[in-house]
Amino acid sequence: MENTTVVTKETKNRIHVDYEGKLTFKERLLSKLKASNTWILIVVNIFRFILMLGVSFVILYPFFAKIAGSFMSMDDIVDPTVSLIPKNFTLSTYRAIITENHYFEAVGNTLMISLICALIQTLISCLIGYGLSKFKFKGNGVIMGLVVLTMVIPHRTLSSAMRGLLNNYDIFTIKTMSYKGPIELIFGSPIDLSETFWPLVLLSIFGIALKNGLYIYLMRQFFKGVPDELEESAYVDGSGVFRTFFQIIIPLSVPMMITIFLFSFSWQWTDVFYVNLFFNGASDFYLMRDVHGMAPPSLLQYQYSYAGWGIYKVVIENTAGMLIIAPLIILFLFCQKYLVQGIERSGIVG
Amino acid sequence: MTDIINSLADAVEEPEVQPNDDSVAVPEIAASELDNNGFIKKNTKKVSLDAKKARAGYIFVLPFLIGLVLVYFPLLIDSLWLSLTVPAETPIGGDSSRKYYAFAGLTNYFDAFDTPNFVTGLAAGLQEIVFQVPAIIVFSLFIAVVLNQKMLGRAVFRAIFFLPVIVSTGIMEVINANGDFSDISQSGIDDGSGGGGANDLISVLDIQALFANMNIPGGEELVGYVVQIVNEIYDIINYSGVQMLIFLAGLQSISPSIYEACKIDGATGWETFWKVTFPMISPIILVNAFYTVIDALTRPQNPMVLTIEQVSDPNDSSAMYWIYFLIIILIVAAIAGICSTFVFYQRRD
Repeated sequence: MENTTVVTKETKNRIHVDYEGKLTFKERLLSKLKASNTWILIVVNIFRFILMLGVSFVILYPFFAKIAGSFMSMDDIVDPTVSLIPKNFTLSTYRAIITENHYFEAVGNTLMISLICALIQTLISCLIGYGLSKFKFKGNGVIMGLVVLTMVIPHRTLSSAMRGLLNNYDIFTIKTMSYKGPIELIFGSPIDLSETFWPLVLLSIFGIALKNGLYIYLMRQFFKGVPDELEESAYVDGSGVFRTFFQIIIPLSVPMMITIFLFSFSWQWTDVFYVNLFFNGASDFYLMRDVHGMAPPSLLQYQYSYAGWGIYKVVIENTAGMLIIAPLIILFLFCQKYLVQGIERSGIVG
Repeated sequence: MTDIINSLADAVEEPEVQPNDDSVAVPEIAASELDNNGFIKKNTKKVSLDAKKARAGYIFVLPFLIGLVLVYFPLLIDSLWLSLTVPAETPIGGDSSRKYYAFAGLTNYFDAFDTPNFVTGLAAGLQEIVFQVPAIIVFSLFIAVVLNQKMLGRAVFRAIFFLPVIVSTGIMEVINANGDFSDISQSGIDDGSGGGGANDLISVLDIQALFANMNIPGGEELVGYVVQIVNEIYDIINYSGVQMLIFLAGLQSISPSIYEACKIDGATGWETFWKVTFPMISPIILVNAFYTVIDALTRPQNPMVLTIEQVSDPNDSSAMYWIYFLIIILIVAAIAGICSTFVFYQRRD
């Protein structure tokens, strides 16, 4: 049978072809609908969509509720007819927290700490992950086991030891055994790191900070998926191990590094455990925990005179929470594409 | 004959008899490789590629090794020592006295079990894991499989599902635990504030009515389990973000050609999932089980952690943490043992 085919329209991605006996759009649609599994597919699709919608609602509802509460005036809170949409829209809760709880200073300080820690953690876990995945050396497995160990031992187990050691750092000292370390013997006192972000930086450099074990693991799995031939060809061309790492491997692993960076940045941002260990809160170095810590004084004065204080206190706390995560949400909206992409391409296998 | 043999032997032995003689220097040795006395230098610089790579490997993991020695091990020993001692004082003279920690053996550990709430807190913490870990694994696998398919609004759903990973940690966990406006003022859906009672999404009674006509062995426990899962749905979703990401990565790494082969052979989606996807992803299930257990055990809202936080004495609390840590190790080892029997590792060439 001879078909005369005519290309009627040609764009970059599609070619429209007309040929003898080509069904019209309506006919094609009908035949598709008649196929037995079409209806099942449609039902499955709808069901799946509704399910996803429902789970999304469960995730988003608390945010909506918190945001709705944060715009409510004090009258709305005691008003039983107000459920989610405020009647008297007000920004006073936000204003009080921003001005009295030093919100912008806290954002600045936290941004600095999170950025420094996240950058170091990303790079260091990249280094360690690469070393553990691509090189065979004695104790490779043991070191990976130790990485897992740093994850398994809750950092709370070490909290008092951390406070003792990292605020007054000295080499090879065990604070509870109360002997003098080398630095104290030479300089008269251990290095005072309290109220600085150096303890956090140190932990990040050594790859033992908050959840670093997970980052190292993810990087290791990612590098395992990178074909060895890539490096071998670089070696053959005369590139050294480190040059290969910085010029070939690092550019390759940018998507995964963005994922790690997002994790470490946002988990450092909302962290309270380390912040409480290394900053005692007496100084003017405001952090996110100070934004959330207590109700601003101008609102606290209603504590005894206002009937809805019990709820209002929670509303203030939620408002502070929304302010704390607002920068993170903005960051997430820009980067979520990379978050999924990075990990999708990682080729993680077991 | 003997002459010939001797001369032959001489000829053979000659280079060995006078190895240091310059006159018989082997021509392919360059002058730079000989030292002042004409000996061949001991060649330390030529290392095999493997050894070179091994050395580079050590340099890559060096930060971690230094950290272990300088920070992590001192911390571990410190904490361990704290748990094995009690505070003591010896008078030095006058009013002053030297404070130190005296070795006390395992007394702190035995004391821990006598502390009120410790055993109950431990039980509550472990129970939470038994409830949550399977639910989190199943849920995150399910969502990852769905998010891996082409569907309407997939990008938006992905963004929403990964929002809790970024946002609901640290301070937000504390804030979430206190509930929100709608939660206190009137009943809404349960959002992890753990209020219980009237705010629960479903109650045991509803489920019991549903299961009343079924005679399942262990039905009561099943009902309780389902109710708990549904009422903790917010927690479960919040805690399964990382797992979802890891599953998604694993699903992406399964070769599409396997699915194509299944399709050609006429396998249904259900069969494909259980015969291909599930075995291929089983190593990742193990990894996620690890991560979930560790995450559940170490998060600040864990009942066990909350109990230990209330103990003011540092010696007692570190002893409790070490007991707790040993239990974590046991659980992780048990999971590894159970899971490794069914984990399937694809041979890669």
